[in-house]
Amino acid sequence: MKRRILLLSCLLASIASVAGCTKKKPDAAATKPGLKIFYHYRQSEEKNLDPVKSFDEASRQHIRSLFDTLLEYEYLKRPYELKPALLTKMPEKQADGVTYLFTLKTGVKFHDNACFPGGKGRELVTDDIIYSLKRFADANQNRLSYTIIQGLVAGMDEFRELSKKQTTGFDYDKNQIEGIKKVDNTTFTIKFTHDSPLNFYPLAFEGASIVPKEAIQKYGEEFDKNPVGTGPFYMKSYSRRGTTVLARNPSYHETYPTVGAPGDKEAGFLDSAGKQLPFVDEIHLPLIEESQPQMLKFKKAQIAWVAIARDDYIAMVDRVDGKNFKLKPEFAKQFQLYWEPTLATTFMRFGMKDPIVGNNKALRQAIALAMNAEGWIDLMLNGRANIAQSMVPNAIAGSSRETGSAWYTQNLEAAKKKLAEAGYPDGKGLPTLMIEYRAVTKDQRQQHEYVRNELAKVGIKVEGNFQSFSNFLKKTDEGNYQIADAGWNADYPDAENFYALFYGKNKAPGPNTSNFENAKFDELYEKSRHMMNGPERYKMFQEMDSILKEEVPMLLVANQYVMGLLQPNVRNFKRNLMEQYPYKYVDLVE
Amino acid sequence: MKAQASLEGKNLIDEGESPGQRALKRLKRKKMTMICFAIVVAYILIMVLGYLHLLPDFQERIGAANEEPSFALAKILGTDLFGRSVFYKILIGTKTAMTIGFLTTAISVPVGIFFGSIAGYFGGKIDAVVMWIYTVLSSIPSILLLVGISYVLGKGLVSICIAMGAVGWVGLCRMIRGEVMKHKNLEYVMASRLLGASHMRIIFHHILPNVFHLAIISASLTTLAAIKSEVILTYLGVGIQNGASWGTMVADAGGELVNGIWWPLLGVTVAMFVILYALNIVGDALRDALDPKYVE
Amino acid sequence: MLSYIIRRVLQTIPITLGVALIVLILFTQVGEDPVRVKLGNHATAEAVAELRAKWDLDKPLPVQYVLFLKQIVSFDYGVSFNSGEKLSEMFASGAVASLSLTVPPFFLGLAMNLAVAVLIAFYRGSWIDRYSTVVFVAAMSVSYMVYVMFFQYFLAYKMGWFPISGYEPGFGSIVYLALPWLIIMVVSAGPEIRLFRTIFLDETKADYVRTAFAKGCSPARVMFVHIMKNAMIPILTYTVIEIPNLILGAFLIERFFSIPGTGDILLAAINNGDFPIIKGLTVLIAISFTFCNMLTDILYAYVDPRVQLDS
Repeated sequence: MKRRILLLSCLLASIASVAGCTKKKPDAAATKPGLKIFYHYRQSEEKNLDPVKSFDEASRQHIRSLFDTLLEYEYLKRPYELKPALLTKMPEKQADGVTYLFTLKTGVKFHDNACFPGGKGRELVTDDIIYSLKRFADANQNRLSYTIIQGLVAGMDEFRELSKKQTTGFDYDKNQIEGIKKVDNTTFTIKFTHDSPLNFYPLAFEGASIVPKEAIQKYGEEFDKNPVGTGPFYMKSYSRRGTTVLARNPSYHETYPTVGAPGDKEAGFLDSAGKQLPFVDEIHLPLIEESQPQMLKFKKAQIAWVAIARDDYIAMVDRVDGKNFKLKPEFAKQFQLYWEPTLATTFMRFGMKDPIVGNNKALRQAIALAMNAEGWIDLMLNGRANIAQSMVPNAIAGSSRETGSAWYTQNLEAAKKKLAEAGYPDGKGLPTLMIEYRAVTKDQRQQHEYVRNELAKVGIKVEGNFQSFSNFLKKTDEGNYQIADAGWNADYPDAENFYALFYGKNKAPGPNTSNFENAKFDELYEKSRHMMNGPERYKMFQEMDSILKEEVPMLLVANQYVMGLLQPNVRNFKRNLMEQYPYKYVDLVE
Repeated sequence: MKAQASLEGKNLIDEGESPGQRALKRLKRKKMTMICFAIVVAYILIMVLGYLHLLPDFQERIGAANEEPSFALAKILGTDLFGRSVFYKILIGTKTAMTIGFLTTAISVPVGIFFGSIAGYFGGKIDAVVMWIYTVLSSIPSILLLVGISYVLGKGLVSICIAMGAVGWVGLCRMIRGEVMKHKNLEYVMASRLLGASHMRIIFHHILPNVFHLAIISASLTTLAAIKSEVILTYLGVGIQNGASWGTMVADAGGELVNGIWWPLLGVTVAMFVILYALNIVGDALRDALDPKYVE
Repeated sequence: MLSYIIRRVLQTIPITLGVALIVLILFTQVGEDPVRVKLGNHATAEAVAELRAKWDLDKPLPVQYVLFLKQIVSFDYGVSFNSGEKLSEMFASGAVASLSLTVPPFFLGLAMNLAVAVLIAFYRGSWIDRYSTVVFVAAMSVSYMVYVMFFQYFLAYKMGWFPISGYEPGFGSIVYLALPWLIIMVVSAGPEIRLFRTIFLDETKADYVRTAFAKGCSPARVMFVHIMKNAMIPILTYTVIEIPNLILGAFLIERFFSIPGTGDILLAAINNGDFPIIKGLTVLIAISFTFCNMLTDILYAYVDPRVQLDS
């Protein structure tokens, strides 16, 4: 045995010395002389780097840095608002009230790429915008995200229908979108169907990024491996399962914002105001799927930014007076902590087609009264959330801050009374209800344990069905479930996006997978949809909230926070939920 | 050695001693083996207690979140995120693990014996079919097969046991087939055939008792493998989801270890280690004790 | 010899047919729905139907089976559902990573484990044998997951002897692969040493050992010359049969250490319902498995003249 141990330790030592000598791993925190590298990671493989073919987090992580959209979200200001990106100013309303004039920045160049004559990136012109928007509308190209712009631009839906009939060789030169008109090389107009606050959001969505025709023609299906845009970074090397490197576009057209939210100046977020973006030379993105190596690498300063999971939170963060957080003393000097409310609502859906749950309003109310959102937030989220009082998260106009709506609070006596009213006194006769979960993770499992314990207090028995996301979608799309875990992350920061989840015409396979239908609710939704935010719109939201509270097609839980850690030398990082990967803004200091 | 022993009349292979008695005698002589056997029995006892609902409720909060181990029984391995006793969770996990081990064995061993013996005995087409099945099954990476079968059967304890059983019978089947082939041409089989015994009688009455030691050894190994596989399967998302199992505890420990919360991982590793170690030793001892050719 | 090889190659046909059938039934009928995975939760019903048709998933099972067999014969599995990459390229790059992860520790470990097993077998019954059994059985009783998690945490993070994770093509990867190699060697040590010890001990009971002793050979000579030579047959069998698994890599290690090998590719494919990858890899492994089996039998005949191939 001794021999074995000796042998092992010899071997260990020799391997370790090989590892130690061959190469010193560069420290992410320290910057290489002359080269600022921001080390981050990818949590999962991207689906596709072609903007029109992607609608997932990992693809977004690249696309936002490689391409530009016409509009983008203010980086520092809150609440979230749009600002021009490739435009010189916000679009200007024309005399008819639904047409807007867009003026492009001049001198914006595409990345240098072999698809252009001489390999030199050419200047962006109006034709590129029209080409890219047509491509976004083309049913043969965009299978994922068209719904985001559906019904908004005059003639675009018709263009899409036309493209469906021509599955090959659909010609953008011969077919036009009626509402989009070129004026000259730097100006064009878009005619919308309504004058609506929703019109501009799709133009800031990464799927509608501007791409050069030459690259699509040269690379075709391979465009996702050879992405060419006008973005702050270009693709230096691409490895789907290894490390992808994005390098700085030296002639990027944008500068760092000069105005921010209150307090931003004091926090140093405006120190770089007006300077040309981006600040870092390279972004390194290895694929690291497991949370253990992510955190270990962060603690070794080999990556610059990491999200905090619950286990990390308990070990590293303290909660101070209610909704404030600080790092435990031993970490406070080492890292920076940030947190920010998300634009997402965590809730659970009732399947309204289910004979037991769907037809029994009193039962649903009883369950809502038995749930304890506050306890959930304390135990499952360590207080990192607000209680959801309406579907709309607090950071979006039209939330309960404006409407004053309130959801149920736990009341076991009332719940028991309702349960009896539903025909199941003390839960007698009520079969075990099945809750569908969309992942097989520890968090989902523990969440279920919490819900089970709460509902058991009034005699309601539940069981969890943990499944993969694709199976979960299949189940909810068919609508044959009793209760389903749910969450909705805003596609754009407008309350409409959340009420659409219960709109009758959006029934499954649309986003209303509860299959909730209520004439009054639908009427209010349609009326409020294209309205500008203001007391009149908020009043309608309030009415819709009370319908949802009475009918209970869902159980509201929380509006969660995101929380994460940064290395001490990271600057200009303000968590922005509409610009999830702010690589172009961040800077590293010595 | 052997000659001396028989001179002193202490030869182990006495006339009139059955193989079973001999095996027991051999087993009893090793203290370590007996200890390990006792451990296996103790784990089985925990499983039984679990089914009788006599184990403490692991869902109950007994302290603060992530308390370090201290000298109270419930907190001997600290607490988890919900302030629940890690020790109680391990006990419930023991019930799950032992159930998986036994259920898997109960599926794979009879299947292996059946197919192995008919293939070996009848030969010809039956043999060809059985061989084809097990060659096909063993050509597919077993982890893929496990995940695939659990997809088809759905989640839960029983379905992963069936999956593991379906993968596990192959090895035993191959061994039994080989042994039966050897035995079917031996004199005692010939004799009973001449006496007009049916095929089934010959297989199950005459041949099987002579190759049964293979099944017992295989059983201890299958139990062991099943307990180990559960951990990996849970990590892959096809394991037990409702209730506690060692697999979920190991998977959960991932995020905890990084933050210096070592006790759940240590606890579950020790619990696994003890039973796997015991099963290994018992399996070895069984092999030594039951092997008819084995002479000391 | 040649006719034997031809017959064995022909035998792979029914096995491949069986493997194809099982894979098709287990993975493409239930399990993950690749169309949903690809399109996500914003997909329209028509987009789902269209993609299903494009990928031949709307065809009845027998038709899908025939299509699959065609793919097997033509060695063309097309592209990954999820990424659109060519499978041949994915497998090639994955296999390089996986083999560089598994081959060095496999052979290094084999040599070390053999050496240790011989020693233990030589001193059988002594305290060395007894205590080493305890150690190796103990090592076997710890879950693979625990090894991976603990070694990464302790040796890479706490002690700082190795990088935490990463990979780069070429020789630079040695830095990153050292710790995974160590884990693989530690994990395989227990079972392999015990297996080899048993093989050696079985041989010591053989008649030729008695003959050798009768001739007056020293115990060491008997152990290292006579027994070693004969024990090579089962050891060789074990070694060759393990080779297909090397191609498959070690998915847990690949995931925790960010090594882009085939194991990781396969795991992701299972999670995404990426059928072309699952189908392609399984058939590849099954064929190499059959091939290795054949190789073992031929080696058998070569090492041991008593074995006849044509019987």
